[in-house]
Amino acid sequence: MVLSFFRAGDSGLDHVVTRSVAMVNDARHSFDLACTALMSGADPQSVADDVRETDLRINANEQQLRGELAVHISVHGPNDIGEVIGLILLLKKIERVGDHAKNILDLAESGVSFSAEPDIDGLLEERRIVSGFFAEASEILAEHDGIPEGFRDRLAAMTSQIQSRIDGYMTSDQPGHQVVPRAVYHRYLKRIVANLNSAVLAATEPVRVIDSTD
Amino acid sequence: MPTGARAALVVALIYLFLVGVSSLEAGIKIMGADTQERLFSAVSNPIAGLCVGILGTVLVQSSSASTSVIVGLVASGALGVEQAVPMIMGANIGTTVTNTLVSLGHVRQSAEFKRAFAAATVHDFFNVLAVSILLPIELIFRPISGIAKWVSELLVGSGGTEWKSPVKKWVKEPVGWLKDIWDQLGASGNVKGALMVATGLVIVLVALALVTKNMKALVAARIERSLNAILGKAGGLVALVVGMVVTIAVQSSSITTSILIPLSAAGVLTLRNAYPVTLGANVGTTITALLAALAASSSDSLTVALTHTTFNVIGIFALYVLPFAREVPLVAATAMADIAVRRRVLAVCYVVGVFIVAPLIGVAILR
Repeated sequence: MVLSFFRAGDSGLDHVVTRSVAMVNDARHSFDLACTALMSGADPQSVADDVRETDLRINANEQQLRGELAVHISVHGPNDIGEVIGLILLLKKIERVGDHAKNILDLAESGVSFSAEPDIDGLLEERRIVSGFFAEASEILAEHDGIPEGFRDRLAAMTSQIQSRIDGYMTSDQPGHQVVPRAVYHRYLKRIVANLNSAVLAATEPVRVIDSTD
Repeated sequence: MPTGARAALVVALIYLFLVGVSSLEAGIKIMGADTQERLFSAVSNPIAGLCVGILGTVLVQSSSASTSVIVGLVASGALGVEQAVPMIMGANIGTTVTNTLVSLGHVRQSAEFKRAFAAATVHDFFNVLAVSILLPIELIFRPISGIAKWVSELLVGSGGTEWKSPVKKWVKEPVGWLKDIWDQLGASGNVKGALMVATGLVIVLVALALVTKNMKALVAARIERSLNAILGKAGGLVALVVGMVVTIAVQSSSITTSILIPLSAAGVLTLRNAYPVTLGANVGTTITALLAALAASSSDSLTVALTHTTFNVIGIFALYVLPFAREVPLVAATAMADIAVRRRVLAVCYVVGVFIVAPLIGVAILR
């Protein structure tokens, strides 16, 4: 530990970004496993430990990295305040994504399964697209090149699509035990997409940039 | 500024600092023995010397600066080792004012203030306790200065009070230029001596402040990594060594201990983890006086600089290595923070009382 003073290494914020990318990958892993439990008909218990351990790891990393950001501000002063605010928000958003993945697992553990539903292919495709958003978010965080054109539009389109589904469930004539689990699942899915959107925004534009020439 | 250029600047500033110490020594030597006697008779009482050490350090907010000045005064012969030792111990107490002042910045948030004030005053309590125990022992038996003198003799030999410092000849020329400048401006005798002392003081303070600022910029990422390594999981010895290494790097214990205050206030660092870092800072900060002794021509100045190191190391053995003693500053700081958070004005009274009023009274009565 003392030797860490003499070793070369990432500066504080680079280290936090690297770790936050790993957290997004962890959150994606949890999401994929939880959705598998919900949609494949497999026993949710087979993935439950993995999902919960991953969630605990995400939470522990969030706490540790928030502490490290406090150290960064104490040592460097307010020079990087915008970036630090962004990273604090980013960590919170990733932690929430992890929580929602765990919520999906809870749904599967309570006995809900979509594996025999007639629209399972659509649900799986939706899951595949959202899982792809995680990968894109990781790349955006790692590369520091801003948000690629169209990414946020695709997130917004997916949010809107999920909301339409939720609206449909709210007015559906189908029995509650059929539509309520779907509405709950899509509510979690919507929050995951919204939090991924907020995460990349927090990392790339932590505070609203105003035109200083106005 | 590129890292290489900043590193070169730091080397140049350290050289300037050594020129300042040497100028201070030269200035005192120019003054007559009578003037020296009048100036420094006030610190012949050890408690008055202790109080002067506290006040001087509070004034410049840096024990590195005040102990370097003391080393310069000892090198000039104006101060003896016996007079300088209590002043050095006073500097140790005085330096804790900076992080205590930083903790007052959290006064509006009760929980934060309580943690911040405890983290700041644990350093105060440790240093005051160390002085309370070790100063009387030193005055009676001289063990600390004895060890320092023994080490000093091992390093530079015991051939009288003059020693051939390798650095001294490098700084001799610029000090000669300063003397010439004051000569050409018509200064002589005590006036010239006082001007040389003033020039030396300004150079020491400015050079040291700039060394600290630039070193902090150079090693900030390393400090950050070290602090991250000790957050919540390092043992006391590791935290102590980190505190020492960081302080040696930035040449200021105030920087190290002040960084800990917002971390403690935020609840990121526990009091128990912050405490050994401050003790390491106590030891680390003694490097500056040792550096100053390199520019001095008297082995006594090296003895005084080593006394500072020995005092802090013995303090750690006496008050930190023993588990029971280790708890005393922690309990006292926690109790003080409890009181301060209930009556915040008492926190301000504490700072003013301990660091300004009490030493002023001490000097006024005992000089």
